[in-house]
Amino acid sequence: MTDAIYPQVRVAPVRLLNPETVEQLLNRLAANPGIRRILLKGQSIPVTVPYGPARGAPNPHSRRQTINVLGEEVQLNTHVGTIDMELESADVLPSIRAACEEVFTKFSFSILEGRFMKTQPTVSDYAKYGPNADEILLGLVDPKSRKGPVILQGYR
Amino acid sequence: MAYKPQYGPGSTVVAENRRKYMNPGYKLETVRDVTDEDIVLVMGHRAPGSAYPTAHPPLAEQGEPDCPIRKLVAPTEGAKAGDRVRYIQFADSMYNAPSQPYLRSYLEAYRFRGVDPGTLSGRQIVECRERDLEKYAKELVNTELFDPALVGIRGATVHGHSLRLDEDGMMFDMLQRCVLDKKDGVVKYVKNQIGEALDREVKAGKPMDEKWLKAHTTIYHSVVGTAFRDDAEAVEYIQRIHALRTKYGFMPKE
Repeated sequence: MTDAIYPQVRVAPVRLLNPETVEQLLNRLAANPGIRRILLKGQSIPVTVPYGPARGAPNPHSRRQTINVLGEEVQLNTHVGTIDMELESADVLPSIRAACEEVFTKFSFSILEGRFMKTQPTVSDYAKYGPNADEILLGLVDPKSRKGPVILQGYR
Repeated sequence: MAYKPQYGPGSTVVAENRRKYMNPGYKLETVRDVTDEDIVLVMGHRAPGSAYPTAHPPLAEQGEPDCPIRKLVAPTEGAKAGDRVRYIQFADSMYNAPSQPYLRSYLEAYRFRGVDPGTLSGRQIVECRERDLEKYAKELVNTELFDPALVGIRGATVHGHSLRLDEDGMMFDMLQRCVLDKKDGVVKYVKNQIGEALDREVKAGKPMDEKWLKAHTTIYHSVVGTAFRDDAEAVEYIQRIHALRTKYGFMPKE
């Protein structure tokens, strides 16, 4: 399971973020070697209309975009509202705050410290990853999703 | 002395707005001009200009039974023609949207005839005969009850009421039925209320500014607007109702 010694933080801006803003922020955050994992959370934006009479019709949405983070393509499936991070140590907090202040110029934000990521595998995780799941993957993606997390290589 | 409805308690601008909007004697201020055709397009029940489909023959033709109630109550235009029952549904943001679901149902019941309003936590639906609906929907959209950014016309997939706003001030919409045009600052509907793409954009006007919203909202909000706890009269009333209901639960004998 996730080792309890790694501190976790949540960046919570007062607005839901545009893909361009997420891209700017992630490029600043992901370059920081003190951040182990980043989890983007927000309201889901489905590819097709999920219910109602128009169910199944295509759902073009300007917030569902592919962004580029340190050369890796990241498909945003949500309208990002909060960004959870697991850190190597609390020493990187000032640099996270600096990155947020640089990007969130038109609205305010808060940085919360606590436990925000999954600490134990659920039944769905067990079904997907088995008994010897890599603990770093837990909670990063919906276990029912066919897509895995984006791994940014070469920055550690 | 004739009965004079009080509509609701409260001494703040929010309470005053609630009373104003519910009062059928108060003329709602018209702030935008969305045409009949545009309303029909956004609702998506029929093609603009097409005949109204009917659910039954016109009342004049179908031979009404001899009924004292039918003699007392004049049918609406839609009922007279035998129109289908159709709906419009709104989602209102809690960030100072001018209307909110409960108020919508109250004001529709006070102001309109032949309607069936339904209140849910973050959305409100009103059903009635199609041609009456178009008339009522126009009033609901063109007056101060509506704001293009903070109120959405959403038939299905309505989530957004309690969410933070988008960076451009729009309420979250999973189907993005309307978008804010950055060039002219006008909100345009690109999909109808159930999420089907429209043949042409429907302009819903410019979003109202913060000051206007704060002066016209009917939602208490302690962070961005008027806090409920600042309204001593409303708090006193709610506490009284709460106390009476609780005591009644124990069936007090006095």
